[in-house]
Amino acid sequence: MTELLSLENINTFYGPVQVHFDLSLTVGRGHIVCLLGGNASGKSTTMKIILGLVKPQSGIVRFDGQPATGLPTPQIVRRGVGSVPEARRLFGDMSVRENLLMGAFVRKDQKAIAEDLDRVLGLFPKLAERLAQRAGTLSGGEQQMVAMARALMGRPKLICMDEPTMGLSPLWVDRVLDLIAAINKEGVTVFMVEQNASLALEIAHHAYVLQTGRIVLQGPASQLRADPRIRDAYLGGQEAA
Amino acid sequence: MSSWIDYTVNGIIIGNIYALLAVGLALIFGVSRLINFAHGSVYVVGAYAGFLAVTHLGTPLPVTIALVVVVGALLGLVIERFGLRPLQGYAHIAPLLATIGISFVLDQLVQLFFTPDPRALPSSLLETRFQIGSGTIGALDLVIAAIGLASAGLLYTFLRYTRLGWAVRATAQDRDAAQQMGVDVDAVNRTVFAIASGLGAVSGLLVGMYYNYIDPAMSFQATLKGVVAQVVGGVGNVPGAIAGSLLLGLVESYGIALFGTSYRNLFAFVLLVAVLVWRPNGLFASKRQTPPEPMTGTFIAPSRPIQIPGKVLLAAAAVAALVPLVLPHPYVLQTLTNSWLYALLGLSLTLIAGTVGLVSLGHAALLAIGGYSSALLALNFGVPVGIAILSAGLIAALLGTVLVFPSFRLRGHYLSIATLAIGEIVSLVILNWEWLTRGPIGVSGIPSLSLFGIELDTDRSVYWFTLVLVIVLAALQLRLLGSHLGRVLRAVRDDDVAARSYGIRLDRYKALAFAFGSFAAGVSGGVTSHIYSYINHETFNAQLSILALTIVILGGMGNVTGAIVGSVLLVGLPEVFRVAAEYRVLIYGLVLLLLVRFRPQGLLGTV
Repeated sequence: MTELLSLENINTFYGPVQVHFDLSLTVGRGHIVCLLGGNASGKSTTMKIILGLVKPQSGIVRFDGQPATGLPTPQIVRRGVGSVPEARRLFGDMSVRENLLMGAFVRKDQKAIAEDLDRVLGLFPKLAERLAQRAGTLSGGEQQMVAMARALMGRPKLICMDEPTMGLSPLWVDRVLDLIAAINKEGVTVFMVEQNASLALEIAHHAYVLQTGRIVLQGPASQLRADPRIRDAYLGGQEAA
Repeated sequence: MSSWIDYTVNGIIIGNIYALLAVGLALIFGVSRLINFAHGSVYVVGAYAGFLAVTHLGTPLPVTIALVVVVGALLGLVIERFGLRPLQGYAHIAPLLATIGISFVLDQLVQLFFTPDPRALPSSLLETRFQIGSGTIGALDLVIAAIGLASAGLLYTFLRYTRLGWAVRATAQDRDAAQQMGVDVDAVNRTVFAIASGLGAVSGLLVGMYYNYIDPAMSFQATLKGVVAQVVGGVGNVPGAIAGSLLLGLVESYGIALFGTSYRNLFAFVLLVAVLVWRPNGLFASKRQTPPEPMTGTFIAPSRPIQIPGKVLLAAAAVAALVPLVLPHPYVLQTLTNSWLYALLGLSLTLIAGTVGLVSLGHAALLAIGGYSSALLALNFGVPVGIAILSAGLIAALLGTVLVFPSFRLRGHYLSIATLAIGEIVSLVILNWEWLTRGPIGVSGIPSLSLFGIELDTDRSVYWFTLVLVIVLAALQLRLLGSHLGRVLRAVRDDDVAARSYGIRLDRYKALAFAFGSFAAGVSGGVTSHIYSYINHETFNAQLSILALTIVILGGMGNVTGAIVGSVLLVGLPEVFRVAAEYRVLIYGLVLLLLVRFRPQGLLGTV
């Protein structure tokens, strides 16, 4: 297995507060890797560091064999990192179609973009009916689909997803997880941050558990699924540390 | 007597000119959440660039317009570079204050190069007028309308069909998400500033040709008009800004028809305050709410105030009291007296903007209310000067609070704009309420200062009188800040939601602080009027409001000692070094700009 993304000894601060303590993790090419943890464990900040939205105080981010620490977000996106942000963050006043095309903003190959639009709509057939609708008027689950489709439109090597199942009904949670698996089958590496550990571990290959800025547990998802410590760690229990 | 058609045509043309301003402001607000107070300066620079082109190069109209667009766009890039980019991640009010600083600098530079005197900006168009019904429409009117339409069309095409236009829209809707799509939001900001400023500059050119008149002082009013039009249409809403501009143009034009020219701006600002209070999302807001404003706390950079021991403060007061004996030079005494008067204003604003977080941009209005109250009480009713000044403080406290009260539910930018508008309204009411205020003639022959029948006719006695006022009010304010009430006021500033959930009635506490602060400002205005012996509606102008804010930021928001120090430094020092008046505003602008950037907590730190 080759690695697509690695974080090495990341230390991050928000003002005087330290968020990450020597955080290291790797994401293998073609994998779904899951970062689990409770509130304020530093999950979302990890995502922001990968995307260049937050700069770590020290440590190295490597993407696709090249250092990517401290690069501005647009450059990181150009290198092949797509994002499904927390709470979707669609462009609410733009149509679904415009949202999807915004996903291909860094690309110039108009013909291939048009093909990808068809391909993505094949993956998310529901969206085909909604192309002209304002994105802000969709339901939460539909918005999540737009957000994922939008990320795919950039033809990323890696998609980062921040709590993709947050705020969705159980039915939609299953659907979204299936879609993530489907995206992954197409060859896209997925790094996702989740609170919903048991569900995320169903589709993930590998997982890390983050607790107040430190990795306290990691391993193949199949192992972690059976590990009683996962629940403790993720609920902030003391035994896990 | 012109016909209604003429007034309508005039309203639409003026509306077109406002639209060129307001659309730019809306675009800028959209992508950066900044109300660009330097926009009026771009407009003035555009007018003067056109003036130079027409009078010195003799350029034909299309070339002039192209030149003005380029000059405006370049200037926009400069404003973005210094006013916005270094301040990303600061409180949202910081870039707003920076653009105020930039506008002071630009306006003053224009004044230095071209003198404050008005110039004629001849339009090269024939004075042809076409008859329509009972009215007429001129060639220039048609040109302005065409430029307005063409700009709107170009802008629509840009936003709708170009890659960069999409990036602008995406950034306006969700800056972070746009970045995650690979949009370079800094490039978007630059583009938007260039476009907005290009349009703003053309607006200045057109208004200059329309009235065949330009002067550097048009800047502030232009910014205000643009802001009014934008707020009426809904901030950040481009089509709304156009609609708001046309509405504003028509309201002004019909208003002039019914009441006369001097009421013109009154309509604009009353419209603004009404919209802010009743429909803060604008008249044409979609169901979508405007993005929530940054919290009221706005500009409180975290800092530990520098503690000055009580002994040092007492010693400083003693030194100040001894100045007239050691340095009995009248010029020094008058300068320091002036500083003490501004210190009173600073005390007032530091409480309101610093301690409670209501960043008022119209504070000079309180001086005006105090000044006129004291002057008229003493003149018309023979009230003893001491009592007149005291009453002036009380009237300012009451009237100021009542006027601002409906705006207390506004936050951040909106409150600042409302106070700015209220300040302008007060000044316009003073101008128009002739039987009471004597209108444009002003009030002269105001009795000089006296206390208990004793004339304070020496520089020395006036100095001591104002110094005592500053010390007494400063001591009271320090007591207030140390009390339970002071803590409540800071709680209101730091987190109004939390404060409210503890059962604090925000409006009452804001009103209380505003009244206390207004009292000091009213007293300052009252004393000023008796020292000057003549005041008019321009004595306490909007520049003073900004000076007051600069004093307060220099000293440290909420910092009582800081307000006094800031006043001595900003008002006293330039006098002592005899800086020519025309450079002074330049200095104020630069100081404001540098402070916001490098020391937002001020010299002595925020409290």
